[in-house]
Amino acid sequence: MSQPILSLKTNDETPKAVANILPCRIHHNGPIDPISAYWKPTTADDGTKFAYFRGRKLQGKVIRLPDQCRGVVVERKKDEEPLADVVDLVEEGDDPPERVGSMQVTAEFDEMVVWEHENMNDSTGDPYIRSMEEWLQVADQIHSYQQDDDATQK
Amino acid sequence: MARTRSTKAAPAPKKASTDSKSASSKFALAPQSENPSKLFILPSKAASDARIVTLPNPRHSRPARYLVCPETGIYEFTKVAAPKTTPRSWLIETTPASTGADTEKDDTQLKAETSTGQELYLATAIDPLFLSLPALAEIKTSKGSGEQKRMFLTSDDHFEKLPEESSHLSEILRCPKTRALIEARMGAICDTVEAGDETMFRLNEKTLVGVILDKAKKMSKGGFPLSMDEKFVKKALEAPILVQKREMKGGELVTGPPDTDSQVSTPQIESTESQSTVASTETTASSVSQPSTAATSFSEGQVTTDSIVSAMEASPEIVQLQRLRVAFNFICSNYVAPTLAAQLQELLATSSTDFSPLDEYHSKLSKLRADAVTSRSTGDYSRKHDRDEEEDEARAEKKRKLEEEKKKKASESRGVRELKKVNTKGMKKMSDFFKKK
Repeated sequence: MSQPILSLKTNDETPKAVANILPCRIHHNGPIDPISAYWKPTTADDGTKFAYFRGRKLQGKVIRLPDQCRGVVVERKKDEEPLADVVDLVEEGDDPPERVGSMQVTAEFDEMVVWEHENMNDSTGDPYIRSMEEWLQVADQIHSYQQDDDATQK
Repeated sequence: MARTRSTKAAPAPKKASTDSKSASSKFALAPQSENPSKLFILPSKAASDARIVTLPNPRHSRPARYLVCPETGIYEFTKVAAPKTTPRSWLIETTPASTGADTEKDDTQLKAETSTGQELYLATAIDPLFLSLPALAEIKTSKGSGEQKRMFLTSDDHFEKLPEESSHLSEILRCPKTRALIEARMGAICDTVEAGDETMFRLNEKTLVGVILDKAKKMSKGGFPLSMDEKFVKKALEAPILVQKREMKGGELVTGPPDTDSQVSTPQIESTESQSTVASTETTASSVSQPSTAATSFSEGQVTTDSIVSAMEASPEIVQLQRLRVAFNFICSNYVAPTLAAQLQELLATSSTDFSPLDEYHSKLSKLRADAVTSRSTGDYSRKHDRDEEEDEARAEKKRKLEEEKKKKASESRGVRELKKVNTKGMKKMSDFFKKK
């Protein structure tokens, strides 16, 4: 089955979130309120975060997203009828209308906390830290074409 | 009491080993949401009317997800996740936008949800020319004809050659801006001809190599990320390490003749250890073996220092060339179909950039490595204290057997054990009593 086109829907007021990646698997999707009794991260002077979770000491490293990025938490919504403007366009062509789904942006975040048991995580090994610090930069170098193109076109 | 509830209700699904269905405690946990939340990192410049669509991946032509923004371009998604063996999950704390930063006091405002999945989807810009590449290169793969036979075609004719199954290409091409963008990028790697009011495109491989090489240059100039530099540049250029033992006698320094006293080892190319750790194990290994090899001339006051001498040093320009090559291969292996990538490699050899110093270095290096391997196998006696994994295993096996024997002995009854000790020497054999006299 082919996947539908997805659009991202943002409400006017999107709550701010902090995305924590925990070093354990939680077999639950969805709200877990209230959490204040068992999740109380504290921040040390050097920016490292500490938390005790189910009796285990966790250390977290905060990663701020670069300026050119924004993090969003999205939730897949049920498929709707094809959007009006798409329908208009489809009438001109002969293709059947493509299914259009939507993702609701439920929260935005501009920092991630990578949690690790006890020891501080090694930034060279952690895929999350690497992706933020390394891949974004590399991808930008490989695919940056537009700036120079725009410059020549204008 | 809200406090006990929260501690009781949530932990049930918290434990990795606990099944979520076992959350049948008397405290209710909010039901699982049907569609778990996903985390995306999107470029902030992408407009709100950006869509997530499926397009054929330029490397393997299978459908993949892309974010298409009519204003700023096309972005590919990279899924970031820890290996399956490492359990990871998201915990998303949400503070409603209206409240301030003071969340400590206002606990009821703080909402949280979890997501079993550990994926993070990262949207990074992709050059649209890669997406159009399979279509532009199509003719060669299907007919196997030469470059001359490739036809000038309109962009639409090119796009038709892309696999259509579960591809939203035709949808995104309806947007004039996206179409213009893709065509502009196609123009960067194609020879174009104006026919009437339409532009015809034909792939020019030489231009393509130039464009990719430019990208590779940009990538290598900006400096590689640390892990990539470590693995593909330093490791690949690393020469075998020579350890020379120097004995400090009083004040004078005695350096052993390098061919007898030095040991050559091959660097561990595939391992993730950095050079420094290789060097340090080397140092410990040789200092451990020191007493056994040079014990006769050893006295208390001597200090042994090992100097690690790399057999060959890569010059900065060779490092730079290696970076360039790695970058080029990286781009080819990610965004170019295998058959086309092979052609590009051939073309690269004839391109303006001269890789011959690097090739020379590599051939020299492989020779050195081969030498190191052979000399290592003959000079292995000096490494007997080095803890090899195999050796360790053999040792463990021995130990286990010894212990087993001990256990067996211990489990014997006291009578049997004591009888074993009876000295039967000089005693008559039992059979003696039954002989005829």
